[in-house]
Amino acid sequence: MAGVRLENVWKKYAGTDKASVTDFNLDIQDKEFLVLVGPSGCGKSTTLRMIAGLEEISEGKLYIGDRVVNDVAPKDRDIAMVFQSYALYPHMNVYQNMAFGLKLRKFRKDEIDRRVREAARTLEIEHLLERKPKALSGGQRQRVALGRAIVREPQVFLMDEPLSNLDAKLRTQMRANISKLMKRLETTCIYVTHDQTEAMTMGDRIVVMKDGFIQQSATPEILYNHPVNLFVAGFIGAPSMNFITGQLVEDGGSVRFRATGFNVEIPEGKAKALRGKGYIGREIILGVRPEDLHEEPVFIEASPNSVVNATIEVSENLGHEMFLYLNGLGKDNVIARVDGRSGLRENQNVKLALDMNKIHCFDKDSELNIFES
Amino acid sequence: MNKTRLQQLGQLLNASVVSKVVTGAEWEREGGKKHPEVGDALQLKKVCWMVTRVNGSELQCIEMTAVLTPLEMQLLGWAIQQGGTRPISGASDLERQARRLGEWIQQSVTAGEWRAEVPDRMELRNRLFDGMVPFLLLCEQGEEKEPAYGELEKTIRSFISDETLLIPLREHEWLILSSDRVLTEADSDGDEVLGHEETKEVLSTLAEGLHQLITGEWGGECHIAVGEPIVPSESVVRIVGTLRETIFLGRKFHVGMQIHLPWLVHLERLLSGIPEMVRSRFVEEMMGRPDLFTDSETVSTLDAFFSMDCNVSETAKKLYIHRNTLLYRLDKIKHEAGLDVRSFNDAVLVRILLLLYKVTKRK
Repeated sequence: MAGVRLENVWKKYAGTDKASVTDFNLDIQDKEFLVLVGPSGCGKSTTLRMIAGLEEISEGKLYIGDRVVNDVAPKDRDIAMVFQSYALYPHMNVYQNMAFGLKLRKFRKDEIDRRVREAARTLEIEHLLERKPKALSGGQRQRVALGRAIVREPQVFLMDEPLSNLDAKLRTQMRANISKLMKRLETTCIYVTHDQTEAMTMGDRIVVMKDGFIQQSATPEILYNHPVNLFVAGFIGAPSMNFITGQLVEDGGSVRFRATGFNVEIPEGKAKALRGKGYIGREIILGVRPEDLHEEPVFIEASPNSVVNATIEVSENLGHEMFLYLNGLGKDNVIARVDGRSGLRENQNVKLALDMNKIHCFDKDSELNIFES
Repeated sequence: MNKTRLQQLGQLLNASVVSKVVTGAEWEREGGKKHPEVGDALQLKKVCWMVTRVNGSELQCIEMTAVLTPLEMQLLGWAIQQGGTRPISGASDLERQARRLGEWIQQSVTAGEWRAEVPDRMELRNRLFDGMVPFLLLCEQGEEKEPAYGELEKTIRSFISDETLLIPLREHEWLILSSDRVLTEADSDGDEVLGHEETKEVLSTLAEGLHQLITGEWGGECHIAVGEPIVPSESVVRIVGTLRETIFLGRKFHVGMQIHLPWLVHLERLLSGIPEMVRSRFVEEMMGRPDLFTDSETVSTLDAFFSMDCNVSETAKKLYIHRNTLLYRLDKIKHEAGLDVRSFNDAVLVRILLLLYKVTKRK
C-alpha cells in the first residue's frame, strides 16, 4: 500500500492558454479514501487520469509511495482503475474478465484462481463467474469491473464516476458496498465524482475543485460546517446553502445584518470578527443552510433577534422533511428544511428563526468566508 | 532459416548449405530478376542461391554448393514459401512478415487500389482467408512510451485470441485482424449467430475494451476504429481506407472521442465531402446567431440531446440536470436561434449546423 503525492502539478493542453489543472498540491495518505469532487470541467478527471498515467503531466511531480512516477507507464504504476464506462470484455466470461489483468502479468494459474475467487466472494458474484457480460445486469457488471480492479491487489485504486451508469437505488447500495470494501481492503483510493452526496458519504477527505484549482481539501464535516468560500459553501449540501446579499450595520452595541426581509443580530463572537476585519457598514453575503432556518415555536421564542417572516411559494414534502421555497427574503428564493409533519402549506405566511451561530459571512468581492480566512 | 534446418537440407541435398545475405544489386548482377521474392532461386556456376526473406534491399538467402534441376528448385522454393506461413515461433519473423504485408497495404492504399487482393508473395496471405474483425489502432503515446511490436502483439493476442494478427501500417498506426469467432464468443450461449445490431454492439464494446487495455498498459492517447467482419485477403485495403477515414472524421467532428465506428459517421462523411464555400454559406444563412455555439453548455446540451435520440428525460439524466433545466436550455436555443430542436426538421438542421460549426471552429 502507498500514499500518493502531487507536487505543483499542472496540466496544459496544446493549443490552449488556460491550464486544465493549475498548481495542484495534494498529499494523499496511505489507506485514505479521498474524493475529488466538482462540477464538470473542473479538472477532477484530468487529475485522476494524470495519476493513472493516462495523461501526461505538463509540470510538477507525481509520487506513488516514494517513487516519482511521471514517466512510468500505467501498467508499471501498481494502480487499478474503475471507470464510469466499465468496458467489460464481451467475449470473456466473468472469471476471465477478472483474471485477464493477472494473466497478462504472467501470474501463476493457482494464484489467479485464488484471487479471482476471493474477490468474487467479497463482491458476492461467485455464482456469476461463468456468465458472459451480456447476461449480467448493470449492478452485476459494475461489481465485475470492481472485481477486475481488486484482483490486482494494487497500491492505489482510482475510480472515475464508477456509479454514474447505475440507477439511483443501485447507486446508493453500491456506494455503501464500495465504502465497506475499501475499508476492508485497507488500500488508498482516489475517487472522482460530480455528486456531492457520494463525496460526503464516502470520503475520508474531500477535495473540492473548480476551474482546475483546489478550492478546499478537508473532511466532509469541515467542508460542510466551515467552507472556505462561496463556491464550496454552495456546492456542498443539498439543497444548497442560501445566500443573501445585505449590509452589516452597528446598532445599539450590536451588529445587525440587513437585507430584504432580514434584520437579524449577529452573535457577539462573529460580530467581533466582522468588526475586527472592517466589515461594518459594508455589503456582505450571508450564508445560511436550509436546516438552520427553524419554524419550531420554542426556537423562535429563544431567538427573538433572528426572526424573519416570509411567504411559502412552494412546499415539497418528502415525508420525513419538507422543503419550503420562501418569498420575501432577499432577491431569490430562500429554502428552509423543516419537519415533514409541520403542516405548513403553500401561500401561507410563516415565521422562522435563523440559527445565527451557524451562519456564514462571505466577502462580496473575494467570495471568501470571512470567519475562515 | 535456423541451423538445424540448414543441416537437414544439407543432408537431403548431400551438399553444404549455409545462410548468406546478398544485396539486391548483387542478385541482379548475377542475373537474378529485379524484385526477387521469397522462394526465388539463382543457379550460379558452383552454388545455388535461394531467397528466404526480403528485407528491403537486403536478401536473406541460403547458399547451396550444388547444381539443382529446375524441378528441384521449384520444389524447394515452394517449401520455403510455405515455411513462412506456418506458426511462427520467433516474434521477429512474424514481425517482418507483418511489416511486409503492412507495406503492401500502405502502397495499395496510397495508389487507391481499393480492390487489390493480397498477393501470393505475402507470407501471411494464407491466414487471411477466414472471416476476421478489423481494428485500426492509432497510438499517440509519444516515442519513448510506444509499445514495441512484440509486446503489443502479445497483449492483443492474449486479449482477443491467438489467431489475431497485428500489422504495422504507418508510424503509430496498426491494423489488428482477429478471428470473427470473437463475436460468437461474446454471446452468452456462444453458439448463436449474432444479429446485425448485436454485432455492432459487440464490436463497439470490444473496441472499448481494447482501448481501455492499451491506454491502461501504456497510457497516452489512442484512437480505435472497428469494422464489421471481412475476408482480409480480398478486402484488407478497402477496410484500412474506411477505418482511416472513420478515425479522421471522428477526430474532426467529435473531439474527445477515441472509439470511432464507421456506421456512426455517415452524416459526417457526407458533410466532409461538401466544398467549404458551400458549407460556410449554409452556416451563414442558417445561423441566426453566430455566437450560439461558442457557449460550451449549449454545445454539450445539444450533443447529449442528439446522442439520446432527442429524448428529454434521458438527456437530462445523462447531463445530471433536472428535466426542467434542460427544457429551459432548449427553449433558450429556440428563442435565440429560431430553431426548435424538439421538432424533427429543426433538429436535423441544428445537428448539421453543430457538426459544421465544430469543423469551422477549429480552423
